[in-house]
Amino acid sequence: MSILKITGLQKSFGAITAIDGLDLTVEEGEFFALLGPSASGKTTSLRCIAGIEKPDAGQIEFEGSDVVPTPIQGRGMAMVFQAFALYPHLTTEQNLAYPLRERGIEQTEVVRRVAEIAEQLRLGHTLARKPDTLSGGEQQRVAIGRALIGRPKLLLLDEPLTNLDAKLRHDTRAEFKRLHRELGMTILYATPDELEALSMGQRIAILEQGRIRQVGTPDQLYDAPESDLVARRVGSPVINLIRGTAKANATINLPFADISGGNWARTIAGFDVNTEVLLGLRPSQLKLVEGTPGGPNFKATVELLEPLGDVTILDINAAGVEMQMVLPEAKAVGFKVGDSLEIEFDPTTSLLFAADTGTAIS
Amino acid sequence: MTTLNSNATEQQSPTFGFWVWLMAPERRGALLITPAIVLLFAMNILPLMWSFGLSFFRYRANRLNPPEFLGWDNMFRNYEKVTSSSAIWDSFQTTAIIVAGSVTLQVIIGFLLALMFAREFPFRKILLSMVLTPMMLSFVAVGVFFKFFYEPSFGLLSQAIRVFTGEPYILLGTKWGSIWGIIIADAWMWSPFVMLLVLAGLVSVPKYLYEAADIDRASWFRRFRTITFPYIKSLLLLAVLFRTIETFKLFDLVYIITEGGPGSATETLSVYVYRQGFQYFRTSDASALGYILLFVVIVLTNLYLYVVNRRSEEL
Repeated sequence: MSILKITGLQKSFGAITAIDGLDLTVEEGEFFALLGPSASGKTTSLRCIAGIEKPDAGQIEFEGSDVVPTPIQGRGMAMVFQAFALYPHLTTEQNLAYPLRERGIEQTEVVRRVAEIAEQLRLGHTLARKPDTLSGGEQQRVAIGRALIGRPKLLLLDEPLTNLDAKLRHDTRAEFKRLHRELGMTILYATPDELEALSMGQRIAILEQGRIRQVGTPDQLYDAPESDLVARRVGSPVINLIRGTAKANATINLPFADISGGNWARTIAGFDVNTEVLLGLRPSQLKLVEGTPGGPNFKATVELLEPLGDVTILDINAAGVEMQMVLPEAKAVGFKVGDSLEIEFDPTTSLLFAADTGTAIS
Repeated sequence: MTTLNSNATEQQSPTFGFWVWLMAPERRGALLITPAIVLLFAMNILPLMWSFGLSFFRYRANRLNPPEFLGWDNMFRNYEKVTSSSAIWDSFQTTAIIVAGSVTLQVIIGFLLALMFAREFPFRKILLSMVLTPMMLSFVAVGVFFKFFYEPSFGLLSQAIRVFTGEPYILLGTKWGSIWGIIIADAWMWSPFVMLLVLAGLVSVPKYLYEAADIDRASWFRRFRTITFPYIKSLLLLAVLFRTIETFKLFDLVYIITEGGPGSATETLSVYVYRQGFQYFRTSDASALGYILLFVVIVLTNLYLYVVNRRSEEL
């Protein structure tokens, strides 16, 4: 059952269009990630859902009824802000209890719930302290605790990890997954970080310029992106998109090789000769030729090496086309800038997009 | 290169030893502030110490007799004399009433104005600069303005009341009327000051706190108590203290609007000291009284500085 259904959402601030016709459905109990760069409309979407901003047009159906006219207080959602927004003059305990006041909940119950949340989020030692004496991670957990304590039906998280350092981000990702599993709550999570979205989101919506470009599971987005934009957004290092032209016999002419035999072969056969296309090759799909090449292959020179421990990222140049490839550390040992490599790849897993519209061809 | 340079310096530098010593770079700072220090000493510190000395002497500035020391066993006689007169306690009381009334009014009006100007509305900037004008005017201008405003025959207040009663209204004719007249003039002039401080506190509250409070379903009063008030608390305290110190010393407005009258009904401490010193020429008594006043102000100022320091620690 869908708990949240958004249709045709529009929101502008003056001349700037933040959300431009957004449609989205979130299922009950789902961990749903909104992935998009800054200014893509993630935060504005969450703020419209929470009721902080009033949308210019569109419907936000929550549990079956349109909540656009409902004031913030009546929506039964909770939100964690990027800046945490803890009340600076209140202690952890008072911050946690804040949403429970004025709801007619008995004091003993408030105390019990605060203790429960503090225990769950390992905040027991901070209860009497004010936010400015807490570490970034502790402040973060207080913010989450404050959102969870009212037992919201929908939890909105607005880039909650952006203000944490790298190590803490990793731990908190695991924490979010654990909380989601334990509480079974619906979570809508906005992030500019692909890793966060892919590792936590059961489904992900790719947002770009106030519009949703594709919704799907991490695998769907990675294996079958509907546009070059989505392909670029998902996967690290970024996918190589190589400009080429369609030729007769379902062959694609790239600057350094001719390719045929992809999943796209049948479609491309119907194209006009010389149609411009973009071939997508993930950096991990490029392999070094060992023995006889089993597929299309080409020569390239190494331009830059980035050793990352167990893998090495190589910037290579093949006939003027810049690409990136990932090699296991053991295979990249001894390579240096200027070396010439022989590279092959399997055309059946390659992706193809129309050069003008960016739409996937399959 | 080095030898060449030192040669050149020797040739160019003047031969006057004192001038060279005076113009040396390490003395430049001291040299630059010397005129200001000399002026300050002559105009401020010397008269201050002189009057402090006079408070232990018998002296009237309109007589030719030189100051006469009261004697070591008797040196606080002037202080005893001025504190035992009933007039000064009346004057203390008048000052306290004016301070309490005016500061309360300033805080209330200033606070409401700040709440109003904290949000955006059309013509906000123009209105804000208009509201700030009284603060920028001189005491004399404000004093004269209110004197005419309260004037019984052609003053605006009197004319407005005459519409209803048919008789001219003499606000400054009674003790309480005069006190109110001064309180209103002072509050009119200084409410914008309180507003500025409170406004500074209000705009320093991050907006997301209010958004969070909305999501947490906090009522208006709760939001004010837990979010807004903590941000303006210390600034408000500063405003109250600052205005208390200033109003405690109030002279110009009172002297222009009522001259301390009717009788001595609005004689604040400053006006009282002025009268003692420059109308009755009890110079040494007035000096002693001036130092008692100074002591009170120093106590208040220290309280003020304590609050300022505590706020800077908080931020």
